[in-house]
Amino acid sequence: MTAKARPKVIMAKLGLDGHSNGLRIVSKWLQDAGFTVVYLGLYNTAEGIIKAAREEDARIIGCSFLEGAHLYYVRRLAALARKYKMEDIRLVVGGTIPPGDVARLKKLGVCEVFTPGTPRSTIIAGLKALS
Amino acid sequence: MPEPGKNYDAYLAGERPPDFMTLSGIELKEFYTAADARRADGPPGEYPFTRGIHREMYRRRFWTRRQQSGFGTPGESNRRMKFLLGQGQTGLNCNPDVVTHLGLDPDFPLAEGDIGLAGTSLSTLEDMEQLFEGIPLDRVSTTIIEQPPASAVMTAMYLLTARRRGIPEDRLIGTIMNDALNQLVGPTIEAVARFFPVEAAVRVGLDVMEYCVRRMPRWNILNINAYNMRETGISAVQEAAFALSLGADYIQRLLARGLGIDDFAGRMAFFCAMDIDFLEEIAKLRAMRRIWARMLKERFGARDPRSGWFRAAIQTSALRLTAQQPLNNIVRATIQTLAAVLAGAQSIHTTSYDEGYALPTEESHKLSIRLQQIIAYESNVTKTADPLGGAYAIEWLTDRLEGEIEALMKKIEDNGGFIACYLQGWVEKQVNEARYEYGRRIESGQQVVVGVNAFREEGEEVKLNLFRQSGGMQAKRKRYIRDYRKNRDGEKAARALGGLYKQAAAPEKPNVFVPIMEAVAAGATTGEIVDTLRKAENFTIRL
Repeated sequence: MTAKARPKVIMAKLGLDGHSNGLRIVSKWLQDAGFTVVYLGLYNTAEGIIKAAREEDARIIGCSFLEGAHLYYVRRLAALARKYKMEDIRLVVGGTIPPGDVARLKKLGVCEVFTPGTPRSTIIAGLKALS
Repeated sequence: MPEPGKNYDAYLAGERPPDFMTLSGIELKEFYTAADARRADGPPGEYPFTRGIHREMYRRRFWTRRQQSGFGTPGESNRRMKFLLGQGQTGLNCNPDVVTHLGLDPDFPLAEGDIGLAGTSLSTLEDMEQLFEGIPLDRVSTTIIEQPPASAVMTAMYLLTARRRGIPEDRLIGTIMNDALNQLVGPTIEAVARFFPVEAAVRVGLDVMEYCVRRMPRWNILNINAYNMRETGISAVQEAAFALSLGADYIQRLLARGLGIDDFAGRMAFFCAMDIDFLEEIAKLRAMRRIWARMLKERFGARDPRSGWFRAAIQTSALRLTAQQPLNNIVRATIQTLAAVLAGAQSIHTTSYDEGYALPTEESHKLSIRLQQIIAYESNVTKTADPLGGAYAIEWLTDRLEGEIEALMKKIEDNGGFIACYLQGWVEKQVNEARYEYGRRIESGQQVVVGVNAFREEGEEVKLNLFRQSGGMQAKRKRYIRDYRKNRDGEKAARALGGLYKQAAAPEKPNVFVPIMEAVAAGATTGEIVDTLRKAENFTIRL
């Protein structure tokens, strides 16, 4: 398969929030659907994720949040992506996000927000459309 | 599976469960008879306590209503705790934030985004004093949700807060959770081992237990956190076997310190989940009580009947909360809370319906208390102990679960016990498999979740009045800790930390609880104290 056929996705959690059920399950789904998953797991900084995305030449960064730090970290990710002129990178967020924050995240440049209960097919179709 | 608009077809086809399995994969029969329920247990309050640890159960006293709370600054959490007590909550259950759980201060580089989000930020003795301001520590029982080594710091802070108010430690009632493996998000090495070495954490936890056994007779030394394990998606059988095996590990380690089994066994307790599988969850607690009592008596030679009491703090499963149609969660919580009551729980936290989105608001927190009060006062299920005892299906399931739990415990035991299995990565493998299976079951529709994979309302707009953190809270906490360090007697704190280091680095590994208490009293912070322990273990946080 060509690199384009196996789009590369960074999967990570930021900060100290250790809730990784969603990140694990979705990473597996993406892998099974033909994505190349770079699983960074827990306790990442925004800087670390951006560095990995550049080194890996990833197309998509997928971040999962449960405890409520989503706006704080997405602001940082978006600012760093701008700083390094990563115009092609696509930010995707999953997790426990209050309804009112979905629009806020999109305004910050997030392409897709997948809240709990989103079907696997919706996530895969959404990411395929971005890659 | 029925879908909206196809309900007539579903009716004609015969609307029924997709299969006849429990969540653990036990196949249920068409019906049960007396022949399936062979075992004759004694009455409630008698060994092996299958029917409950007390003869009269809720006739004498209801379970403790113990809603977990904690967010933002200690002052904000204090107001919420007083609110809950005012609504009829009967015990406190306070949750420090993840920064505190990991033994860090708010100004740790990776902490800022998480300060106060899912718990309260507790760095100093004055934080603890503020958290419990106006709350009588000798009259309200408090659970402190904390893992070692931070559990040592929190216990020390709580004890010193009481001491400053003239309440001696032997009058404190409550629990330090103190489970080294499962506090964060269940037993994953990925979550636990990055900030402190696991074996050293177990040891500090034992130091706390040892101190409490000797000095705090009304204080529970350990609450094995089966709930957080379960919330990864493992089964009732795995939850029970993991927790009970871990209990055996702790017992062996405490015995190795020269404590007598009857001195501490009655002070150990469990924190279990109530998932949505009503019958199985009830049978699970009954089976756990039976296994624990037998293990304490036959394997560990306990003589005091209290040593065999399997005491359970229950939280209704948050894994089952849906973001879709959130009011449905109230119905789920009612089923789960009723299951906990029929199973004979000692305390219950009913998860709030809005927690699929955020921490509970005052309003949803109050509803959880009301839900418990309605079961307690109106439903009359509390007026006889173990009302389901003798029900054929319940007794059959209890026996069946007991068998499966014991088989898995044997496997864990043969591999060196739970802590060894955890360190070898076996537990993590089980957890990850369970997570994938959980996702697969919902995705395939094998596990029907109303509002999610069935009866979903496309384009549903959720309108909820959600909890919001106060503005600038995180920056405020960061500023606080910096100012605090500037204004305290730095030399005194440094001296106490030096004393702690000496003790912690000693090759014979003496108990570090007293020097931790001295460091807290001298003004050292949570992060500084745990950093000192890290240094003594030659451990560096790698990010």
